[in-house]
Amino acid sequence: MMQKSDYKNMWVYIEHDGKTAAPVGLELCCELRKLCDTTGDKLYAVIIGDLPHEEVDKVRECAVDGIIYVSGTGYDYFNTDAYANAFTVLSRKYNPSAIFVGGTINGRDFAPRFAVQLDTGCTSDAMELEYDPETGDIQFIEPAVGGKIMAVITVPELRPQVGTIRPGTFKYAPAGRKAEIEVICEEINFDPEAIRCKHIDFVPDDLDPELDIANADCIVCVGNGLKDSEHLERYRELAKLLGGKIGCTRPLFDRGILPYKLQIGQSGVMVKTKLYISFGVSGAVNHTAGVDADVFVAVDKNPDAQIFNYCDYGIVGDMDTVCDELIELLKARQK
Amino acid sequence: MLKILVCVKQIPDVDLVKMDPETGNLVRAGVPTLTNPLDLNALEAAVQTKEKYGGEVTLITMGPPMAESTLRECLAVGGDDAILISGRPFGGADTLSTSYSIVKASEMKGKFDLIFCGKESLDGATGQMASQLAERFDASQISCCYSIENVADGKIRAVRALEDGKETVEATLPCLITVEKDNFYGRLPNLEAYLGSKKAEITTYTENDIDGLDLNKIGVPGSGTIVPKIYPPELPEPGQIINTGSAKSDAQRLVELLAEKGSI
Amino acid sequence: MANYNKITPEIAEQLKAVVGERRFAAGEEVDPNYSHDEMPIYGSYYPEVTVDVESTEEVSKIMKICNDNKIPVTCRGAGTGLVGGCVPLAGGVVLCTKRMNKILHYDMDNLVVRIQPGVLLKDLAADALTHGLMYPPDPGEKTATVGGNISTNAGGMRAVKYGVTRDYVLALTVVLADGRIIELGKTVCKTSSGYSLLHLMVGSEGTLGIITEMTMKLIPNPVCDVSCLVPFPDVDSCIKFVPHIKLANLDPQSIEFMDADIVTSSSAFTGIPTFPERVKDADVGASLLVTFVGADEDELDQKLIKLGKIAEEAGALDVLVVATSSNKKAAWAARSSFLTAIEADTKLLDEMDVVVPVDKIPAFLIYIRSLGDEVGLTIRNFGHAGDGNLHIYCCSNDLELDEFKRRTKIVMDKAYAKCTELEGQVSGEHAIGHAKMEYLRESVGDDVFGLMGEIKRVFDPNYILNPGKVCDASLRQ
Repeated sequence: MMQKSDYKNMWVYIEHDGKTAAPVGLELCCELRKLCDTTGDKLYAVIIGDLPHEEVDKVRECAVDGIIYVSGTGYDYFNTDAYANAFTVLSRKYNPSAIFVGGTINGRDFAPRFAVQLDTGCTSDAMELEYDPETGDIQFIEPAVGGKIMAVITVPELRPQVGTIRPGTFKYAPAGRKAEIEVICEEINFDPEAIRCKHIDFVPDDLDPELDIANADCIVCVGNGLKDSEHLERYRELAKLLGGKIGCTRPLFDRGILPYKLQIGQSGVMVKTKLYISFGVSGAVNHTAGVDADVFVAVDKNPDAQIFNYCDYGIVGDMDTVCDELIELLKARQK
Repeated sequence: MLKILVCVKQIPDVDLVKMDPETGNLVRAGVPTLTNPLDLNALEAAVQTKEKYGGEVTLITMGPPMAESTLRECLAVGGDDAILISGRPFGGADTLSTSYSIVKASEMKGKFDLIFCGKESLDGATGQMASQLAERFDASQISCCYSIENVADGKIRAVRALEDGKETVEATLPCLITVEKDNFYGRLPNLEAYLGSKKAEITTYTENDIDGLDLNKIGVPGSGTIVPKIYPPELPEPGQIINTGSAKSDAQRLVELLAEKGSI
Repeated sequence: MANYNKITPEIAEQLKAVVGERRFAAGEEVDPNYSHDEMPIYGSYYPEVTVDVESTEEVSKIMKICNDNKIPVTCRGAGTGLVGGCVPLAGGVVLCTKRMNKILHYDMDNLVVRIQPGVLLKDLAADALTHGLMYPPDPGEKTATVGGNISTNAGGMRAVKYGVTRDYVLALTVVLADGRIIELGKTVCKTSSGYSLLHLMVGSEGTLGIITEMTMKLIPNPVCDVSCLVPFPDVDSCIKFVPHIKLANLDPQSIEFMDADIVTSSSAFTGIPTFPERVKDADVGASLLVTFVGADEDELDQKLIKLGKIAEEAGALDVLVVATSSNKKAAWAARSSFLTAIEADTKLLDEMDVVVPVDKIPAFLIYIRSLGDEVGLTIRNFGHAGDGNLHIYCCSNDLELDEFKRRTKIVMDKAYAKCTELEGQVSGEHAIGHAKMEYLRESVGDDVFGLMGEIKRVFDPNYILNPGKVCDASLRQ
């Protein structure tokens, strides 16, 4: 019987489309590097299928100790069966202590599945990772109950510890290439005939620039304080005057007022912007975790709203009134 | 005839859950409950599938006896049969053990061709249940289903909504599906079904009623994860509050500050 | 016509002294919002001075100064009106009660609450709930002030069961035009004590006095409620069903009417198809949203069963139940989105809020639609079927403003005439303001209109209170 301590090293799955590596895998490598330095584990990147050299170089720059290349049949398109199987086979062979997968749509699709195959614990959406030397467990720290509390989650007995992490949660800050990088090549064939969910076709969405807010210079974010859709127009106008784009918090998506692609926060888009102005946003952790702004402004009628803890400048007042005043002032400035 | 299973969950209204500052525990007493909204989208997809291709919809949930009201709500909008898994030993379960309990309990009603789930629950929000159920059902899975194109000859063809586009896939049955709400907004129950749902029989299974249930795999013992600690989020120090007396002058001051910073 | 004086710097100083610098604005400093309500199509008029009052005494002092100097005073709450009622047609002072927003005290033995006029409807409703009580009137605009609701005798959806604002006003503190403070009404359930000046004040739109405090009646909050949506193949069968609901002794709290048009635009606008457009393979022509309240679920179920039976006999396509908290939220969000949905896809808009006997609704709707076709205007409508109050909107996206106004006038002239012919009234709940004055005169006739003018003169001999409104035609060319 294997002990917990027999499981060593941490893995990061590098999601890619055959051309480029998704940023989340690299972000995870950077963050896990720090954790592995604490735990003494080695950090391995797992790449399934072909990825161009220059993209693999980006992975190497993140100071990984090794790369596990998986080749074989069944990986032409993402499918749960072959990808989950690959990790199960690899994990049984190498017994890693932890496996991290980017919390993309497909990452969240297959990671919990191989966790069941391995009969182990799986967590999702951690915002911080800490190591408890006493137990040897990773502490996955994440907001819960709509951001009202932070919960520490551990996998106390089982291994590997599986975690999916949302894109943008951790910073991409490569620590530089290691002198020696171990290379492991595994051929794991999955019979394409045995793939139960087959890719037929893919049609890319029309690109609407208004819906691409991740790196907008300025974002006007509207929260649940908004009365109804009718009152939305002024915020669009303000965003336009500031040369920015409009975003929202989860309740506005749930209320059907704005599309999912404009939902800022951990379960939506993570944004990096110069100026962020929130109106009627209460400031739940799930939302603020998704905002990386040079200057953060908050407007809300509740003086005790948590959002004021995150802002550089705050105004307590009626969101519509303040917005209208700002529009007037900005119009006057532009004249 | 398709045998369709829909997994639903009763959740507390998370907006109203508070943390007891003294004990650090979540105060759920007296907080109204509701059916996880995304599960209602899953139910709608199941009912649409039943209406188009024929079949029977069975509902399943795990929770305290009061979770029955969620099953009745779902019976009123197209469910034909309902299972409640209830009992102390099931408590404190994470997704690893909940998925086990649900699969074992559902097997009491035979094998299902299609299993529909919400993408996640608004309270736990792990989004892991569906994949783990799929694995335990030994089923194919279609996550983030945007529309269902066809169900025939032991296969389902559907469109998934990915980050940057729509993927059409074809999966063999049994298949587990999580749905996007776009095409699956829930419907209102009609009067007959609503009144019928109040009298409908609900199958309740305790840990003693489920064949071949391994008690080590349910509840806390069967869980892979634990929550050793919860705490209120640490808040940074508040920013500078502009308070000059009126919205007009506040806005004026803000514009000045932003201009000084070069933000505008 | 009254000859008003301009506000001299001296008078301005006197006014400023009453409220202090921060609650006073003049000239350029005046907030532009104080020049209009929510219907800017009836024109914007700027006051010379605005004062945000905080007490009865301040109002009294302001009125005295203005009466002595013949300065017009227009009282304003949240400015959510739809007939230009709070717009200062003759300039002068806008006296805003928004800051008088305190809920003063509850009398739990008599189930009343004493409040200031600037309390918002939604705040009163929410606060009463924390005491286990309900403020029954439920006008759609929740951010209106209760003072404004009294001044227009606002109605709302629950009028079917509970009546309108008037029925919940027990006592008022009023400042008269010359600054005198009077008390009208008492906390009693009955009164047979002379002319009811209290009820004269309700619905007087700030033309007879300024309301500065009020005692409102509350009721114990009903424990349970359930709504249902009853779809019909066409408007006619839908409306014909309304009296049946009442006759069956079902005592509904509200009966709302929606036609296929408004449901389609609401779905398109909110992106959520809450109300079905097809039921049992048939197109829905119009639906009723009926709400019941009761002590427990069994009582409500009995009502639903009865409703189901009579609905089937009346040719309803189905009866759909709105029982869960999520569905209730969705249904009322959709219902509340009707006006915004219309506004969202309409550039120019004018409205009517006529009330006709319930059985005349189909006739009126058919007539108004044909009028719209005749003059080339899109007509949209929804409303409170239970009480015959219809909200009708003339809409256009391609007409020039002048042409739109010309065509709207034709529609309105004929529609109000039709309304009178059908034994209806000009306004169900939005009031007259200056927008509907001519139609009021035509509808009630010269004798009644003249009497109203006489009453106005008794209360306000200098005609300084809200000039040009309701029955004061002196500003008309």
